[in-house]
Amino acid sequence: MSEQATAIMTRKPRGRLLALCSALILASASGTALAKTVKVQSTDLLKFEPAKVVIHVGDTVVWHNASVLVHTVTDVPKLAAKAADVALPKGAKPFNSGNLQPKADFRHRFTAPGTYRYFCIPHEAAGMLGEVVVEPK
Amino acid sequence: MKQGSSRVSRAVVSLLAGLGLAAAFASSSASAEGNSQMQMQMMHKLVEMAPYRGYLEAHDKEQHPLGLLGGPISVSITQKTGGVFVSLPDKRRLDPNVFGTPKMPRAFAGTPGIDGVPPMARGVEDGHYTEFEKLSPFGDKYMVMADGKLSIQALDATATDAATTQDRVKMMASWKDKAGNVYEVRCCKMLAAHGVEYPTFGGVVTNQILHGSSRIGTSLMPTEYTYFAFWGMGQVLKNGKVVAAPRLIHGMLTEYVRTNGYKLAFDNQVTPTRLQFHLMVPPFMPDMAHGGFKQDPLPTGFDLPNGMQLPFWHVMFENLDIHSHRA
Ligand SMILES: [Cu+2]
Repeated sequence: MSEQATAIMTRKPRGRLLALCSALILASASGTALAKTVKVQSTDLLKFEPAKVVIHVGDTVVWHNASVLVHTVTDVPKLAAKAADVALPKGAKPFNSGNLQPKADFRHRFTAPGTYRYFCIPHEAAGMLGEVVVEPK
Repeated sequence: MKQGSSRVSRAVVSLLAGLGLAAAFASSSASAEGNSQMQMQMMHKLVEMAPYRGYLEAHDKEQHPLGLLGGPISVSITQKTGGVFVSLPDKRRLDPNVFGTPKMPRAFAGTPGIDGVPPMARGVEDGHYTEFEKLSPFGDKYMVMADGKLSIQALDATATDAATTQDRVKMMASWKDKAGNVYEVRCCKMLAAHGVEYPTFGGVVTNQILHGSSRIGTSLMPTEYTYFAFWGMGQVLKNGKVVAAPRLIHGMLTEYVRTNGYKLAFDNQVTPTRLQFHLMVPPFMPDMAHGGFKQDPLPTGFDLPNGMQLPFWHVMFENLDIHSHRA
């Protein structure tokens, strides 16, 4: 388990423990590796940190707004100001957090492999861009 | 223009001192005094040459200005949650699209910081302009503050500059620093029915290009399509107490003029499909008697890390709800 996933569990043990238990059950039943949860922060400096994460199909990314600003986590091609700022692998559904208030979380489970490029709607032009690379299991 | 010329001259000396230009002009050569005087005259001429003076002369006494084509437009803009971006004093990189080159300068006339930038105040390297050599509210440095709230109800009815206006603005904006101090700006008890160095369209304007090469407002901001803007006199508060009033307040809703790392864009870097609202309380006050502006640092009550008090507010709101219709 990654340090980030551990940190999330420490902060909110109950829900995460339940999720972990069911993930464990699923993992042992199917004989596959445990699904992970990875944390990304939205910051005052208009960055997603880390800007790039590499995960596996079935893993979840949780974005935490660690900023005093309102941000979004958006991977919807028609909402991008620049085509280069957004990418969705074949078969993947667009996702959008909507306005994420300070301290709020948004989570998305990735089921299709490939490279996802996403952005923050208000700060796309200021370079607030991120990438999730989802590898097959 | 003789009258205008004498009106302007008295404001120039204080401006030069404020900008540190007087010292910069005093070269170490034997003819320093002569040079200094010549450059003072040149500076005076530049302020006098603000490009819209003739236009304003034709409009500023008009008692019955015409209305907007198609009728008045009402505008409402709000931000209920989230933070704001507060500009810090910085040296503005000079965009060749706006300022030209040392051999072919552009956008040089008018009060520096309010209008153009005098060639003498521009850094030069390898035949290109580098930066405005004075700190201004228009640069790349910023900080964020929490609890940004904005509420604007406005009407754009009067089309042109005039002696009177039917335009209206009611604005309240506030934000909070880390120590919990709340800063607030309220406007406008009075709108600028006409401008001093450039037009203000009755105090409120909609759907117009401002700044940069438009020469309406400081050229230190990029040329930007402006959906809504106002100029008026209002109040500046800290923790509920008025710290400055009346003060010149300017607000505008524009296309997005920040780039990677929140750097202030050059004209070719503007993002047309994103919007931001800018609130500006400049370190200047209009000097109606002399037809220009005089330096007047704003006592914001917010101290910078170097101990200096921030002498202006230039604050951006970017989580906006916008509604507008023909009233
Ligand atoms: Cu953002």
